[in-house]
Amino acid sequence: MPETMHTLDLGPPDFVEGTARVVEVAGSTAWLEPEQTTSCGHCAASAACGAKGLGTIANRIAARRFALTDHPGLRVGERVVVGIRSDALVKAALTAYAIPLCTLFLGGGLAQWAWGQDGTTIVGAVTGLFLGLGAARLGAARLFAGGTSAPRFLRRAGPADCQPGLK
Amino acid sequence: MQEYLLLMVGAILVNNVILARFLGLCSFMGVTTRVDTAMGMGLATTFVITVSSMLNWAAQAYLLEPFGLGYLRTVVFILVIAGAVQFTEMTVRKVSPPLFQMLGIYLPLITTNCAVLGVALLLIEGRMSFIESTVFAFASSIGYSLVMVIFAGLRERLALAEIPRLFAGPPIGFITAGLLALAFMGFSGISTV
Repeated sequence: MPETMHTLDLGPPDFVEGTARVVEVAGSTAWLEPEQTTSCGHCAASAACGAKGLGTIANRIAARRFALTDHPGLRVGERVVVGIRSDALVKAALTAYAIPLCTLFLGGGLAQWAWGQDGTTIVGAVTGLFLGLGAARLGAARLFAGGTSAPRFLRRAGPADCQPGLK
Repeated sequence: MQEYLLLMVGAILVNNVILARFLGLCSFMGVTTRVDTAMGMGLATTFVITVSSMLNWAAQAYLLEPFGLGYLRTVVFILVIAGAVQFTEMTVRKVSPPLFQMLGIYLPLITTNCAVLGVALLLIEGRMSFIESTVFAFASSIGYSLVMVIFAGLRERLALAEIPRLFAGPPIGFITAGLLALAFMGFSGISTV
């Protein structure tokens, strides 16, 4: 399937879709902020639901602002549907979480085998965790080097996209 | 080694956190429309549950128990979990800003996930050592992720099926979840002791 950016609806089988709002346009680069959702997002009270991330960094939507280059004439305030390649999402999650967890258990397991005490096991696990985070950083740099994992413009949000959320 | 394997089998299948203990049902129903998003959410939850359970065990062993502060357990655990989520967000953002943009949406959803607190309280009740607690927490979250992915696959199939109007949406989802819970009850015959 050809991977053109502006005109074709590339469809749900290849991309994980999400809605975002254009907050700034600077030349050929548009800055978008994703629309936050609740953990369920399916009841009538979801707009007022308190389970929205309670002051966490990611709840500050500005922190998750991202750029879209070569946009098709977007204007500030427009709602668009962007997509991330589904395999890229899984690879990103594995890179960010699986690598540190593996090194956490490796460090903790080695410490438990060597000393057998809870205190040293904790130190070993934490050391492994931080080493894993370093390895994840290297893995993430490699993952995003090709540019295929960046969010892509799919279409302008229409009536069918009026319920924001993960699709 | 065998006891760790049995602990894992028990936590993943026999006492599955979603289908046997009925924890974390909110995100189970809300983030399982696609297998990819379910996998992302499952991995994020696995990381947070494992790290927060480690910290909660340490808080229980070195702070609450020695000083007789058991009545503060729930409050302290919730604070630790919120801190663990913040830590995860900060580290993911530091590790890779593009990763944070991609995965950041899952993290605030975990703060209010009752499965995280539930697993922490269960491992305290089990009076396990640090490594056993960490393995139990990791296995519980793997069970959580497994069920999320299975359910997401089922819902993707259901989206293509002809469902009676009255059952469309959440009703058929809950019926499917109930049938899945019945299927997992078959694992309860496995002896882990």
